[in-house]
Amino acid sequence: MAEVRLEGLGKSFGTSRAVTGMDLVIADGEFVVLLGPTGAGKTTTLRLIAGLERPDAGSIRIGEEDVTGLSPAERDVAFVFQQYSLYPHLSVFDNLAFPLKSPARRWSAGEIDARVRDIARMVRIDHKLDSKSTKLSGGEMQRVAIGRALVREPSIFLMDEPLSSLDAKLRADLRLELKRIQSEIGATLLYVTHDQIEAMTMADRIGILAEGHLTQIGSPREIYTAPANLHVAARLGHPHINLIKPGLLPCQSMPDGVRTIGARTEHILVEAAASVAQGNGRVDWIEHLGDQNHLHILVDGQKITLLADPYSGFKAGDPVSVSLKQPLFFGADDRRITDV
Amino acid sequence: MNNDTGMIDRAATMAAKATPPRLVRRVRGLSDKAIAWLFIAPTMLLLLVINIFPLIWTIQLSFTNYRANRPNAEVVNVGLRNYERLLTDPDVWIAMQTTAQFVFWSILLQTVIGFTLAYLIDRKFRGHAFWTTVILIPMMLSPAVVGNFWRFLYQPQIGLFNYIVSFFTGIEPSSFEMLGSVSLAPWSIVIVDTWMWTPYVMLICLAGLRSIPDYIYEAAEVDRASPWRQFWSITVPMALPFIMLAVLFRGIENFKMFDMVNLLTGGGPGSITEVASITLKRQAFEAWRTGPSSAFAIILFVAVFGLANIYVKALNRVKQR
Ligand SMILES: Nc1ncnc2c1ncn2[C@@H]1O[C@H](COP(=O)(O)OP(=O)(O)OP(=O)(O)O)[C@@H](O)[C@H]1O
Ligand SMILES: [Mg+2]
Repeated sequence: MAEVRLEGLGKSFGTSRAVTGMDLVIADGEFVVLLGPTGAGKTTTLRLIAGLERPDAGSIRIGEEDVTGLSPAERDVAFVFQQYSLYPHLSVFDNLAFPLKSPARRWSAGEIDARVRDIARMVRIDHKLDSKSTKLSGGEMQRVAIGRALVREPSIFLMDEPLSSLDAKLRADLRLELKRIQSEIGATLLYVTHDQIEAMTMADRIGILAEGHLTQIGSPREIYTAPANLHVAARLGHPHINLIKPGLLPCQSMPDGVRTIGARTEHILVEAAASVAQGNGRVDWIEHLGDQNHLHILVDGQKITLLADPYSGFKAGDPVSVSLKQPLFFGADDRRITDV
Repeated sequence: MNNDTGMIDRAATMAAKATPPRLVRRVRGLSDKAIAWLFIAPTMLLLLVINIFPLIWTIQLSFTNYRANRPNAEVVNVGLRNYERLLTDPDVWIAMQTTAQFVFWSILLQTVIGFTLAYLIDRKFRGHAFWTTVILIPMMLSPAVVGNFWRFLYQPQIGLFNYIVSFFTGIEPSSFEMLGSVSLAPWSIVIVDTWMWTPYVMLICLAGLRSIPDYIYEAAEVDRASPWRQFWSITVPMALPFIMLAVLFRGIENFKMFDMVNLLTGGGPGSITEVASITLKRQAFEAWRTGPSSAFAIILFVAVFGLANIYVKALNRVKQR
């Protein structure tokens, strides 16, 4: 395992810039998650590190070595592709064994067999070892793809939405498993996902990507509580952060130059009002998600959504008074105003 | 939506009014299956007339001593004697052996060269589309043209072929005769067949190579497989069904190879290049032994059919792997 250092990395396809000026250091043994909307350049970043794309600008170092000009094989990275990329003519076993059969490794058949069975058990695919890889379900293919990366001991693991087509339970199981494996072997791991829970629970640091730029990188807590700008704030939080104009809701202290206020559930106080006249909004409707409810409140025609206790007792149409409690303030340039 | 169906209904009613009532009832009464049969009937009929009927007639003739040049002579049913004679005739076996050797060598060369060309063209270098077209030209020519054209090339005095060979090897151009020499004549046919049909094999192999998605190679490269290993563990196994298909098509074609041999050597010198189809022609249209040659045709047919069947089974097994 090794440290990976990206400096001023850039890549364009024709006129569209997929990645621009990316600086990122992934420490040895660190788990970094990239979050970003579709088309932000997440896959391109991974492909650049793997050597499947040549950068237009910048450099990539793995450990001590500058690998910018090296081929994928010379870089020793493991990649879990977004579209699985299994070898269609091989069985699950042979797919998993493929990286081990490299002549440079000189592993005996017995060693390969033992290793493949170990990993197959880990990603719960050991019952399908003899199946042809095209005869698997999407989730099974994804597990084989993860396994094919894990059999190796590369300098960095690159994973492109590796859990996206699994059901919720298996995803939760494998999330824990993957995190455990990662910390056990001290793997350096760069991981792309759209799933906020994956990002928050697994990452040592989260990097937020927008239009090819790395907008912010920091611990999950930092990204969540101190987002650098509106875009980052909008990536995390469930339900989606409420963006409201200053003055709509009462707020204790507000700095100058605020254009937008970002308010999550923990920034909003909702109390039942005795009558419509006493409150400043009313409950529009309540969305029941099972273990929790989404409360949709209308204030002056603007909708505010927050998480609510299922036993809070609110009903649709109830008058409420809503106020803010230390929300996030964003200025005219959409950056967060930090000196409150 | 409602409007549409209304219109269609109206059109149908109008059409129905314009058609005599009995026909309407008949057409309306036809099941889907009957209509399907109605559509394929012309094709079936044509197949029956030009394929199945001659086959049955040939089978029938193969049990007789019928001679096409003496249609009025008495036709005697000889039972299995034609088959018996043919299968014990050493000349027939030599013809079969000659055919087998042609099939083997021309397919081997065509497959190796065709696959190599396909592999090179698949690299998508500049102008690869142009070169693909150029390579395909021989295949588009008629075998008769190719035969005559190569007869000139093989001419010992004025032929270009001998000069090219002499240019590279220093052998006197008029000192050898491709079509006339016992040792060279078989190879001259293999060369022409390879020249003409390698593009065909290349085309099928190219389709196979193009069917391998790029991401497989990317995965293999990340998995640190060398180009050599990628070729043997990805390219070849994934293109194998296509290669086998090309071999099958060429095999069946070459088994009945006739026009090119007939034009180039006519089976000679002596009977060195006498493949089965030439023997058949000599028997049927020079010796006019229609009955026995029918039997020979049936034997060839069964052999090709049987071999092709075994081969297709193997092909399916490869595809299922
Ligand atoms: N091979 C390519 N040729 C041309 N454009 C490309 C190519 N690969 C990516 N792009 C473009 O680069 C941009 C970034 O693509 P990328 O695949 O990195 O997005 P992503 O963040 O992985 O998105 P997603 O979440 O949908 O997977 C997109 O606008 C895409 O259209
Ligand atoms: Mg992607």
